Amino acid sequence: MAIDRFERLTNLVAVMLATPRPLTLDEVTERVPGYPETLESRRRQFERDKETLRELGVPITLIVTDQLGGTGDVAYRILPGEYYLPDLALTVDERTALSAAVTAVHIQEGQGREALWKLGGGGDTDTPRLGALPTVEALPRLFEAYRLRAVASFRYRGEDRRVEPWAIVFRRGHWYAIGFDQVRGARRSFRADRVEGAVDVGAPGHFERPADFDPQTALRDEPWSYGGDAAIEALVLIDETHAQSIVAQLGEEAVVERRADGVVVRLAVTNRDAFRSFVLGFLDRAEVLAPDELRNDLVEWLRVRSDRAGGRA
Amino acid sequence: MVGRPNASERLRRMLAVVPWILAHPGVTIGDLARRFGIPEREIERDLEILPMCGLPPYTPDRLIEVDLVDDQVRIRMAEYLDRPLRFTAAEGFAILAAGRALLAVPGSDAEGPLVDALAKLARVLGPVDGLTVEMGAVGESDDLITTLQEAVAERRALEIGYYSFGRDVETVRVVDPWAVHSAGGQWYLAAWCHQAGDERLFRLDRIRSVQPTGGTFPTPSAVPAADTFRAGPDDPRVEMFLGPDDHWVVESYPVIESEARADGRVRVVLAVSGQAWFERLALRLGPGSEIVAPAEMIGIARAAATRVLARYGVEETS
Repeated sequence: MAIDRFERLTNLVAVMLATPRPLTLDEVTERVPGYPETLESRRRQFERDKETLRELGVPITLIVTDQLGGTGDVAYRILPGEYYLPDLALTVDERTALSAAVTAVHIQEGQGREALWKLGGGGDTDTPRLGALPTVEALPRLFEAYRLRAVASFRYRGEDRRVEPWAIVFRRGHWYAIGFDQVRGARRSFRADRVEGAVDVGAPGHFERPADFDPQTALRDEPWSYGGDAAIEALVLIDETHAQSIVAQLGEEAVVERRADGVVVRLAVTNRDAFRSFVLGFLDRAEVLAPDELRNDLVEWLRVRSDRAGGRA
Repeated sequence: MVGRPNASERLRRMLAVVPWILAHPGVTIGDLARRFGIPEREIERDLEILPMCGLPPYTPDRLIEVDLVDDQVRIRMAEYLDRPLRFTAAEGFAILAAGRALLAVPGSDAEGPLVDALAKLARVLGPVDGLTVEMGAVGESDDLITTLQEAVAERRALEIGYYSFGRDVETVRVVDPWAVHSAGGQWYLAAWCHQAGDERLFRLDRIRSVQPTGGTFPTPSAVPAADTFRAGPDDPRVEMFLGPDDHWVVESYPVIESEARADGRVRVVLAVSGQAWFERLALRLGPGSEIVAPAEMIGIARAAATRVLARYGVEETS
């Protein structure tokens, strides 16, 4: 009777983990029942099994053994120090809390349930589903680079980037990696779903995150302040109908004056396109008060819209 | 084999279940099934294979021993599996992201067991503070989510003041709150709206006030899925040519059609979910873009520009 693949894989893990030295292909397939007779099919079968184990996260170390006067031979081992999850000493309450989190926040195609298994499962929780987060292919690798303090290399908008990820942030429906772009020599944020192809994770411990970097405020909702335009300060009147929400967004410190008809806020503008879009988002419920330069920019922009009916002549 | 987990899936969970059994001798199949969310029959099937596994030369003293007596499981001769396999990158990310997300929900316990659990995870996964999940803005009141959740649980009808972004008006309406959830980085209340006579999704950051009406409502038969945007079949369409500066529109809105044109512009067709929504979009389009059809939408865009210009004391001359 053919040996069940589950049985062969289990034996493979047991043998490579419990044998205190690396084993060559011949040694492994001799010890683990169920491999075919001929060398070529045996090798192919072992390669497939090895790939399956790697996908499950089983760390297989490849060791080239020096042989007297000959070419090196390849041998494999699962190092116990790399295989085992350290004991986290979670209390029952803590395990339940993690289980509730995984239930409440559904991560599409995420592997939270598999992670919970390794912590001893969760059992039933009556937590209602609270939210859903998307995931994208690049995300686990970007996160890996972030937590290992390793440089992440990937293609983005047609260019090769080397990034020291300081934070991984979910905001407004998208995941971002924020950090130092070694190619540009500047701080940048990258939308994870726009990363093209695979993310290469470099050696761990390669950088330090600046002490003054705050992940909570790293991606602020102030697009007008991200740009290379000459800095200029704008005063904008927001009508009473939208005053509360704008103050909630910008904070009290942005408020210059509270009037009966609304609130005047101060914005530091370095991206004029983004500033114009922000103000136009309020339609006729906001007005650029100063400076004249920005006020006139806006009027000119709108004149084109009104004369040409939103189109090109 | 159809419909059953493959060998790889079975191995993945067995490498987690065996350590648990080793640490909890006598655990029942039923408890394992509940704890790991795996059907009892599948656990039994995997446990039947296990006694054929072990180390060479696979003599009885080297094979894994599984005792199943009165539904209680004991495993011996598997010391090398006494701890689970470390997390994969995807697993570590998923559990941390879920935990960090739940902590970010206003009203969550900032000193509870979840915080302690995440701190322990950080010991093996590294720093977690840089993993930030924002589930969405909730407007002015931090207790809004709690208030709404209580109303959902107790099936209390609410009168809400709601700012309709698409129509740029504030309305007061009575709703039966069904569920509160976050999707796409926004919080929503799914509810039956008595004014509309239909189910509606309300964004929490646009709810301006909440008052119980004193009434209750029966348990809803089915809570609608958490769609964030649904183009209504009756929503009017608009056709536009977008210049290179405005290609962001394609990424930001659900477009019905889009195709690249030879002149470098992109032709798109969008569903217009509300007039104010369309006005905002139209006013932001740069000079390289064009609203093509229908004439009604071109007129709306022009009127919006004229209206905003009036605020700056500019009257249209034409």
